[in-house]
Amino acid sequence: MENYELIEHTADIGIRVKGKDLKSLFKNASLAMFEILAEKKKTAGEKKKKINLKQKADTLDELFVNWLNELLSLSAIKELIFSDFQIKKIDKNNLEATLIGSAIKDYKVNTEIKAATYHQLKLKQAKSGWQAEVIFDV
Amino acid sequence: MSEIWQGSLEKIDDYRWRIPKSYKAGMRVPGIIYADEKLLKDIRQDKALEQVANVAFLPGIVNASLAMPDIHWGYGFCIGGVAATDPENGGVISPAGVGYDINCGVRMLKTNFQYDEIKNKIKDLVYALFSDIPSGLGSKGDIRVSTREERELLVKGARWAVEKGYGTQEDLECTEEYGAIQGADPAAVSDRAYERGKAQSGTLGSGNHFLEVQVVDQLYDAELCDTFGLTLGQITIMIHSGSRGLGYQICDDYVKSMIHCLTKYNINVPDRQLASAPVNSSEGKAYLAAMKCAANYAWANRQCLMHLTRKVFEKVFGMSWQKMGMFLIYDVAHNIAKIEKHKVDGKDKTLCIHRKGATRAFGSGQAALPERYKKTGQPVIIPGDMGRNSYLLVGTEKAMEETFGSTCHGAGRLKSRTAAARSINVDVLLKELESKGIIVKASGRGTIVEEAPQAYKDVNEVVGVVHNAGISRRVCRMRPLGVIKG
Repeated sequence: MENYELIEHTADIGIRVKGKDLKSLFKNASLAMFEILAEKKKTAGEKKKKINLKQKADTLDELFVNWLNELLSLSAIKELIFSDFQIKKIDKNNLEATLIGSAIKDYKVNTEIKAATYHQLKLKQAKSGWQAEVIFDV
Repeated sequence: MSEIWQGSLEKIDDYRWRIPKSYKAGMRVPGIIYADEKLLKDIRQDKALEQVANVAFLPGIVNASLAMPDIHWGYGFCIGGVAATDPENGGVISPAGVGYDINCGVRMLKTNFQYDEIKNKIKDLVYALFSDIPSGLGSKGDIRVSTREERELLVKGARWAVEKGYGTQEDLECTEEYGAIQGADPAAVSDRAYERGKAQSGTLGSGNHFLEVQVVDQLYDAELCDTFGLTLGQITIMIHSGSRGLGYQICDDYVKSMIHCLTKYNINVPDRQLASAPVNSSEGKAYLAAMKCAANYAWANRQCLMHLTRKVFEKVFGMSWQKMGMFLIYDVAHNIAKIEKHKVDGKDKTLCIHRKGATRAFGSGQAALPERYKKTGQPVIIPGDMGRNSYLLVGTEKAMEETFGSTCHGAGRLKSRTAAARSINVDVLLKELESKGIIVKASGRGTIVEEAPQAYKDVNEVVGVVHNAGISRRVCRMRPLGVIKG
């Protein structure tokens, strides 16, 4: 994916990710996270599952970290790898989205990501859009 | 990698270094790092030392923010970090001082086999272990636990497994906290955490978790080896795993709530991942009660993994595990917070000890040790990387005086996973390991590269520092023969 790069970290993995607006920032960060986590097998089927998700938080930083961790948690319990994120509404405290995923058995898992952390977390708005940096515990 | 750390570091002696309190306004105590000059060069390469300084901000921290020689950059706390806080003096508890993989830990068991007796069977053994022990991300075990049973498991820990027939009373005596830390409250665990941990008992997991068949290749303390029943050339087994999805979710749940405690309790820390709450607050107590559940889950998990290992040996060698002498030496946690009694300035204090990638290393005579280890001091198990060595050490009086009875937990990472993946060819690596007589079986080739020996510090140097500093003592060294990775 073109919208992110890896940040070097001794034990864990970090990403620097961009988006033209908040919706695409959140989407691109999620796509990057699942791209690090797993790659689709060539033999994978086309069956998809949809999950609707609402998130609330006190700040944008919290919304971002909570969102990524909720995706990891849902991925683990539903045994899905998410490949698309339709973010319907977003502001700095609220988010509404539909997650689209397929069965984990259709994927080759590369790395387990335990969580997204607040360590060196940066979210900023620039002229060209939004940028975020986040470090995952792997 | 990031720029070299330029902060101020004072040499105390050949194995101890100090970050003075004056380094950063807000540090309540200095930072003390156990390392030699050679290791320090690598340690300066990332942001671990800055994290040692950041931990010194925690309210109620006692004596110093400590770091072991396997220190490297983590999130919030450095890996290899030890911090004691005093609940009577506003001391806080921080989920970052434990980590997402709560009670990630390691156990070592011995066998009666000598390497020469079974060297032709090692390959069969490794393949059988790989086939029978569930590993890899989201792997599920055959050991199924109902919802009602899971609550019981979170309280009883390894005892739950023993009551199911997966081990003996003796196994519990040879486990830190006897395999179940008191005060675990299943009500403090969210439904989501239950769901995430479901069906993962008796699974190894992925990443740096492993199961190794090893051989004792060097004895350092003949008398202690004798006491532990270990000789040169003897086959041993090491199991490294944690609390799986249950632990990750508990940590996530409580970081989420403790972020708000920073304002509520006026806690000033330079990194939000150091989110914490006073140990005696409702939030602190709830986290500790939930964390203990995950710790007990991890002990039950390693007990189940050991049971499965014994079964595989029985299948391969056609003998009972007792006949093969597959007895547990000890099981230690290396991601945990515990309420322990320690002497501070000559006075007995009850403190909250965070060990984040650090191992308890109690010296002889400590009440927490079982009778069999009261004289020797606590066995400390230090896994290395898959190509070099692992160690058995014992805790010392000096550790009680200096490090709240703590020591290192492993080799410590040197290279990032991405750097390792870029520079290491998996086929070349596997050939190299094979030429050293090491067979590796893993769920994913990516894991093998990320966990390559080149990605780690040399465990021999790390253990050299803790031994020479006197915070633990070398007993014997093992080298790997067969490695199962997630």
